[in-house]
Amino acid sequence: MTARRTGVFVCHCGTNIAATVDVKRVAVEMGQEEGVVFSKDYVYMCSDPGQSSVIKAIQDNQLDGVVISCCTPTLHEKTFRDVSTEAGLNPFRCEIANIREQCAWVHSNRDEATEKALKITTSAIRRVQNNEALTPIGVPVTRRAMVIGGGIAGIQASLDLANAGLDVVLVEKQPTLGGHMLQLSETFPTLDCSQCILSPKMVEVSKNKKIKLLTDAEVTEVSGFVGNFKVKVKQKAQYVDPELCKLCDDCTHVCPVVVPNEYDQGLTGRRAIFIPYAQAIPASFNLDEKSCLGLNPVVCGKCADVCEAQAINYDVKPKTYEEDVGAIVVATGFDLYGLENMGEYGMGKYEDVLDGLAFERLCSASGATGGHVLRPSDHKEPKEVVFIQCAGSRDPENHCAYCSKICCMYTAKHAMLYKHHVPDGQAYIFYIDIRSGGKGYEEFVQRGMEKDGTVYLRGRVSKVFEKDGKIKVMGVDTLAGRTIEIDADMVVLALAMQPSKGTADVAKTLKIGRDKDGFLAEAHPKLRPVESVTAGIFLAGAAQGPKDIPETVCQASAAAAKVIQLLSKEQLEHSPAVANVRLSHCTGCEMCVDACPYEAISLTGGGKAYVNEVLCEGCGTCQATCLRAAIDVKNITQLQIFDMINASIGG
Amino acid sequence: MVDIVNIRAHAKDLLEKGTVKMVLGYQRGTAGVLAEPAFITDAGQADHLVWDPTCVQNLALYLVNEKKAQSHQRDPDTRPIAIIAKGCDSRAVAVLLQERHFERKDVHVIGVSCGTLGVVDKNKLSKALNGRVATKVEPHGTDSFKVTTAEGFVDVAAADVLADRCLECACAYPAMHDVVFGEKHEDRGYPARFTALGQLEAKSEDERWAYWEGHFNRCLRCYACRSVCPMCYCPECVVDSIELMVDPTTSADEKANRIKWIERSAVASENSMYHLVRAIHLAGRCIDCAECERVCPVDIPIRMLNNKLEKEAKDMFGYEPGLDPELPSLVASFRDDDPNSFIR
Repeated sequence: MTARRTGVFVCHCGTNIAATVDVKRVAVEMGQEEGVVFSKDYVYMCSDPGQSSVIKAIQDNQLDGVVISCCTPTLHEKTFRDVSTEAGLNPFRCEIANIREQCAWVHSNRDEATEKALKITTSAIRRVQNNEALTPIGVPVTRRAMVIGGGIAGIQASLDLANAGLDVVLVEKQPTLGGHMLQLSETFPTLDCSQCILSPKMVEVSKNKKIKLLTDAEVTEVSGFVGNFKVKVKQKAQYVDPELCKLCDDCTHVCPVVVPNEYDQGLTGRRAIFIPYAQAIPASFNLDEKSCLGLNPVVCGKCADVCEAQAINYDVKPKTYEEDVGAIVVATGFDLYGLENMGEYGMGKYEDVLDGLAFERLCSASGATGGHVLRPSDHKEPKEVVFIQCAGSRDPENHCAYCSKICCMYTAKHAMLYKHHVPDGQAYIFYIDIRSGGKGYEEFVQRGMEKDGTVYLRGRVSKVFEKDGKIKVMGVDTLAGRTIEIDADMVVLALAMQPSKGTADVAKTLKIGRDKDGFLAEAHPKLRPVESVTAGIFLAGAAQGPKDIPETVCQASAAAAKVIQLLSKEQLEHSPAVANVRLSHCTGCEMCVDACPYEAISLTGGGKAYVNEVLCEGCGTCQATCLRAAIDVKNITQLQIFDMINASIGG
Repeated sequence: MVDIVNIRAHAKDLLEKGTVKMVLGYQRGTAGVLAEPAFITDAGQADHLVWDPTCVQNLALYLVNEKKAQSHQRDPDTRPIAIIAKGCDSRAVAVLLQERHFERKDVHVIGVSCGTLGVVDKNKLSKALNGRVATKVEPHGTDSFKVTTAEGFVDVAAADVLADRCLECACAYPAMHDVVFGEKHEDRGYPARFTALGQLEAKSEDERWAYWEGHFNRCLRCYACRSVCPMCYCPECVVDSIELMVDPTTSADEKANRIKWIERSAVASENSMYHLVRAIHLAGRCIDCAECERVCPVDIPIRMLNNKLEKEAKDMFGYEPGLDPELPSLVASFRDDDPNSFIR
């Protein structure tokens, strides 16, 4: 059906548009376009009087299509479609002509910008005149959520969701919950013990009947759509039954294998059967199949022999779970930028050059040295320690361009903790500048300088090397304008944070985007910070960008709130602007099937393409792929595109 | 060397057993030296089959036509069709399989290797013969043809009369076949692939524009290129509909609102639009059989357009059409390791 009574509403957006585009002229000229019966301009169309005037115009003039010439549809398309509905017009007969972001803001010549605004608006008029009146598709909701990642972000999100009455599946790759936070000793700025504040939450997760915890598990496949995802989770073989394991530790005494303990950043060793931390949840020993002497055939078997509880079974197989969930929170966390990347700082070759997490393990009472700060090389107490900030951060030429945000604070904390452990020691911190924004953060840094005598040196370290049992640090103090050489006993690098290793794979599996640095991309940097670009998938924690614990917890709760909001509905509405097959032209070549990013298209028995409207997001990839013009997206059909091109080129 | 006797015996055997309903091949032509397509359904006619350097046509077109015909038959014979396919033709069959035009079981590919030779270009041949008329062309050794004329035999160097595409051919041996006749020769000693294209690309933008404008100006829009192309099987051509596809599902709106991307008139602007859109629609599908160029009555070098896109696809995406029917097609595929940095 072709609309014959179109209304055009041109917004000034204050001076945002009006300064560059002659909005009055646009309104007048559009009023003369074919099929346009009403046209006006207004200073803020999105304001309440602006919206009311649209409603009134629709009703007074029996408009059957409206074009709002204003800002981007991502901002106000919904506003004006709601306005249309209120006025009794099908919302899909309202289109936005973007004359702000795509015109006024990017041009300076008023005449040319006005010409362009005229073309943009005309093309939207041509489009709306062939828009169908559509009805949203109703989709049922699975009131269950999945959280991927069992660090503090995942724990917080899971607890919030479970406490709101939703069933939660929490998937963690490691054998225990806790993530990196469990490795930390004390946390800034209050210096409370990390494990002491985290472990109650971990216990809460394990006790909560609403939470199904899958550790040692990874998401392998996701299908479906918002409200109705189907997720396949693969869990590694659980050779030690957590229900039966009594934590007696007999097994580790007989295990003949010793490998570096990754939970202690390799500072200590562990057995092939081990428990990552005393506080581990699930509270159970684990058998690491990679380092075990051999499970198939069983070549050792000592641990099973001594296990009185008979908790060890070598014949257990990996399990695959299929979970139906309505929403997913991704909280896959961070990893440190590897020491091996820091050529100027020894590439991880020097034992006494540590990363921040290793230093945490040295300070931690449950760590490698029982809470004594000792050099890894000779187990002596280091008397001079150099901390280097921005190791790998803020260095677009060689490493990561971004600021890792938390290093200023944790380095200040490290220096402070060091001084508490070694009162006669001296801590030096090389920094570019100190970023201590946050409640109590600046005071914390000042306290380190004043009370604990931390010496801050503004400048970069050019080289670190080992000489005569010392770590020589060559740097420059740019404030004093002199070069500095320190014979340190130990060097701690505040390495950049980067998305955890699994993040890329998870993003691919879930079909969510990543930013230029590999962190998960939020839908809008300001207004939709916990949503991914894919509906129903939310982000929390350091996988989205470097952040500290308070911020992570904040974001996790925010993501949980979004999930609760989503799953509180009985039914979801799915956009009806979906792909539509012209059966007469379809040859069944399957190109659209291959091209569809949402797996929404399949071939029917008759060899024609079929669109699952619930899966289709209306992205138009199929439309662009089809050589035969046999598939169209509703309300942006080939005919409409043709009319729009003609309008744009003045045809 | 391919001995036609073996091909005939194989075709006869297939037809006698009834495993195929038809053998698509070549027979002696009635107009000039070139062989013409043969549609053999009777084992007794298998002896009409010929194989020589005049078997220029890409018979894959007839698989497409047969498929179209079948869709109108009430009780179609669904047995497979056997097709005599050169290397290039077998790639066309592979692309059609990739696009699910028919299934692998519907076709029996009788591959024939072009060896170190290929097929002749009729224009080059008459030029080489200098006025004499060829009545027969046979391979002679590895690098020349023995041409029979009314005045007697002439030996012609293959490099002088081979079709342009055969000179640059990288698939003289059929990649996909059920049975194959002839041997594989790795080094054929001709120019590398895209040599002719490279010469055209080396020209300045103005020169190239003048070159194409001159050619497009002469286009009659007879659509011979489209009709002969096995990949141009769409029920309705997007860019220029001379046959509108209307069936019971076609709505009145659709009938009323046919898009006219280009005008009917055969003028340079519309002609170039037609050729460019056709070339783009053949990207990753054209297997360089060059039939479009051969049938063009005004000698537009259409092959160069398709060649250009073939080269782009190879350079940018490492994609070569017609080698693996299982691969997704170029325009529908996406690789995580795509060299374009904007994809992540």
